[in-house]
Amino acid sequence: MTTFFIYLGMGLFTLVLLCLYRGTLGPGVLNRIAGICAIGTKTLIILLLMGFIYNRVEMFVDISMVYALLNFIGTITAAKYLEMKGEV
Amino acid sequence: MIRLTDDIIIRTVARILIPFIQLYALYVIMHSHHSPGGGFQGGVILGASFILYLVTHGLEEAKTRMSEMKAGIFSSLGVLIYSGIGLLCLILGSNYLDYGKLSAVLRVIPAQARSLGILGVEIGVGIAVMAVMFSVFFDIATGGELKEDQE
Amino acid sequence: MNIYQAASIPFLLGGFFFFVAATVGLLRFPDFFCRLHATGKGDTLAVLLSLIGLSIYEGFSLTSLKILFIAVFMFLAQPTSTHAISRAAMRCGLEPWVREGRE
Repeated sequence: MTTFFIYLGMGLFTLVLLCLYRGTLGPGVLNRIAGICAIGTKTLIILLLMGFIYNRVEMFVDISMVYALLNFIGTITAAKYLEMKGEV
Repeated sequence: MIRLTDDIIIRTVARILIPFIQLYALYVIMHSHHSPGGGFQGGVILGASFILYLVTHGLEEAKTRMSEMKAGIFSSLGVLIYSGIGLLCLILGSNYLDYGKLSAVLRVIPAQARSLGILGVEIGVGIAVMAVMFSVFFDIATGGELKEDQE
Repeated sequence: MNIYQAASIPFLLGGFFFFVAATVGLLRFPDFFCRLHATGKGDTLAVLLSLIGLSIYEGFSLTSLKILFIAVFMFLAQPTSTHAISRAAMRCGLEPWVREGRE
């Protein structure tokens, strides 16, 4: 079962690298914000899988909850700032 | 000038989620013996909840909940708790922040006094970090300007 | 391999499939609002399925309850942040994409 988690984690990491294309080269700022939100969501699952591989689940559950909170707050703040600024 | 979001979805979801974020920050501070966390991390999450309130509900309404004066008082209160516990250990005749001497005041065994001393220090650090984070974001949001009647 | 571990494998594989679908949508769709469709809905469903699968793997303990709390939070928060981004795009005057030859 551990090897299954390792392969799943490597596949998710490949998806993160693919999302980075939209995060750097998206035409305009809003595309980059959407890419970063997607990267944060995938990182959350990778953190939990790492907790299961190293057999210390209780530690990594708290860390991934904090990461979900900060992803949400950061995306809303960035979108609000760009709405105020008035350009894409 | 961050104005009120005239969108009811973001305002309602933020209103639902902010108390649970603060409760989670309190859990992270109090549970620092057995899980990753502590004073700084809990203070950051608590400050982030106030920043979420400011971003979604506007500057004027956030000022009624936590003004700049209150943020200054809270940060000084946090530092007072931290250094107050350290000075209390110094007064009782030992080194600074040597919690074993607190067992004379609290009437518990020295090992339990050390545990309670660390918990008190973490609470002070958490309050100070929360107040400083909110104060810095408030200054950046207003651009450092004050209105005529505030000085 | 007991029953809990065997029951969590389809949830994890389904979550991975929806992650791949959402990423392909993010890269290949022609317009910003279409990409928001892909990442807002696809990522939310994928995270929900993956977290339910991991919670079943753990069994019946406090840790699996905490993982379900993360799932409920993501279910509330991720569509809200997608709505905030798309509202900022509408306010900035971004026009939706139409195919050539239609109006």
